Amino acid sequence: MFRFERHLLTIIFASLFIFGCSDKDNNTESFKAAPYLIDIPFPFPTNLNIPSDNPMTVEGVNLGRFLFYDGRLSGRTHPDSLMSCGTCHIQSNNFEAGINHPLFQGGYVHGISGEKTTHVMLPLLNLVWNFSGYGWNGFLYADNPDPYFTSIEDFVRIAVTAENELMGDTIQVKNLFQHIDGYPVLFEKAFGSDIVTFDRIEKAIAQFVRSLISTNSRFDKYIRGELQLSQSELNGYVLFTTEEGADCFHCHGGSANPLFTTHLFYNNGKDTLFGDQSDRFSVTGVEIDRGKYKAPTLRNIAFSAPYMHDGRYKTLDEVIDFYSSGVQLSPYIDPLMHHAVRGGVHLTIQEKADLKSFILSLQDDNFLVNPEFSVPAKFPDDK
Amino acid sequence: MNAFKLLFIALFFLILTSCSKESDEKVDETGSIILKVVHTIDSQILKKDSLIYKNKAGNEYLISNIQWFISDIELVKPDGTTIKPTIDDGVFYVDTDLISTCSIQLPGLPSGEYIAFKFTFGLNELANTNYRFVNPPESFMFWPEYLGGGYHYMKLNGKWMNQDGQLAPFNFHLGIGQNYYEKSNGLTDYFDFGQSSSYTHCEGFNPPYSLPEVSSFVQNYFEVSQNIDFSVFQESDCIIKLEMQIEKWFDGEQSYNHNDWGGSIMQQQNAQEVARKNGLSVFHLSVDNF
Repeated sequence: MFRFERHLLTIIFASLFIFGCSDKDNNTESFKAAPYLIDIPFPFPTNLNIPSDNPMTVEGVNLGRFLFYDGRLSGRTHPDSLMSCGTCHIQSNNFEAGINHPLFQGGYVHGISGEKTTHVMLPLLNLVWNFSGYGWNGFLYADNPDPYFTSIEDFVRIAVTAENELMGDTIQVKNLFQHIDGYPVLFEKAFGSDIVTFDRIEKAIAQFVRSLISTNSRFDKYIRGELQLSQSELNGYVLFTTEEGADCFHCHGGSANPLFTTHLFYNNGKDTLFGDQSDRFSVTGVEIDRGKYKAPTLRNIAFSAPYMHDGRYKTLDEVIDFYSSGVQLSPYIDPLMHHAVRGGVHLTIQEKADLKSFILSLQDDNFLVNPEFSVPAKFPDDK
Repeated sequence: MNAFKLLFIALFFLILTSCSKESDEKVDETGSIILKVVHTIDSQILKKDSLIYKNKAGNEYLISNIQWFISDIELVKPDGTTIKPTIDDGVFYVDTDLISTCSIQLPGLPSGEYIAFKFTFGLNELANTNYRFVNPPESFMFWPEYLGGGYHYMKLNGKWMNQDGQLAPFNFHLGIGQNYYEKSNGLTDYFDFGQSSSYTHCEGFNPPYSLPEVSSFVQNYFEVSQNIDFSVFQESDCIIKLEMQIEKWFDGEQSYNHNDWGGSIMQQQNAQEVARKNGLSVFHLSVDNF
């Protein structure tokens, strides 16, 4: 009996040992992705919007960068049918198409089919600090009852499949990348498996997009005490942050909100009639949300033309002129646009110049050329 | 064998008694308060974006949203001693668009009777420092450095039917005020903060060249104190309702006419002063029986 018990114990321990090893091998024993650490300079927010099911890793961001720029993300290989995120999101143009894009005249983008996108682009930067929904109308948001419209990951799927963007097929795309030399190994490194799934494609690209961080403008350096701004820039900053000046700060931030956006939605008085089927109202169904759109960040804004959701303004000067004297009062205008009763903030020529000087001090040159964000010199299958 | 049994029994009792002693020491004599913040107009829960309200100055108005800070909460016991909840550094953000911020949990309070509740509307000068909050939504409340820095005590945004029949936006934003020199850089100061209106107070304003220089800043926060009997029990939360009676911002000690003050008052200390005085009667605390 005693001998039987001893054998039984041996069998149990041996089984535990075997299953324990086997379990580890199947999961994470050989998968050691390195956490991607984000340097958060003061006074940037310490809360980051990184989904718990897609933590950022060095390998994930690296894979995401390849996928972001690989034209085969459309699921096609013919040179005329290549399209990727990077086709429209140009680093030197603040990850927008830019008004000088060779394919998209005036910065108005369209997909492979030739169909134009609903709105012009928003920049891809500092989205790791955005908790208020993605897109001009915030149609992707965390607590959306539709679980397929919540995150940057979902944005990737939407962009790949939309007729006015890549017009691809998720199965075709993942099958294609499964058979491109070098990619399965990168998936293995990023996700612990060399099986390419579209879910992993979404996650990798979303990780790369979250890594696109801009914290090093002239203004950032001024706040950190590393340089002095010009008198014109400082004058512009006072205008920017005073109600009786240009009154930009409530929606577009300042030194204590260095994102230079609240990521919230406002009707800024561009119109008095609202026919756009993709405004904030289309998401919330709340009547007062008609004509509301996300306040975009002003970082690198010089490269983000054309401006407003419909790209109606081609230059920063036109935008400043609008806020100075072109604001239209309507029942839907945001209360923060209190200058609307006079048509705007009424800036002098000098004030407009100073305000523009300050806004241009939010330009982060390093971000626009950072090699970590650039088109890879070689793709995984390049010899 | 008997000795082994005795030793076992002795050890068993030792363990039992030590457990019993430990549980005696763990008697918890603290409880929690849940501060339920409600925003009302004329005793009714605020109906946002509805032009159904009228102040004593005759302004028809609506309220779109309110964000504000409550800080320095103090609970007064019958013997006069005070208890300060220390959670969240003593500063709480309330936002009518974020329902979760309208319920403030104050745990770890000594059980017993209390006779009064105090708090600061906004933040005092020690608490109101630049970059105190780096994360939204609190960070969105920053008050520009040029105007005194720190944070808005409150953003109350709405619209009123102005004298020209326009539904005009107003920002009733309270925070650090400014006193200005009469002259600035040798230029004539046309800017009369005391008598400005939506039509005149921005006219010709030409910062920074003719921006009147700030001579001093004014702390406009104020303390709210109300006698109220309530008890904190360890068994259940004490629920206290904190009501912001919005209409009293405009109908308090001094009538506030939007046509006089216009849409923006961050740079109008006289308006801030009216708000501060009226604010003393804005808040009402009651024990909630639900």
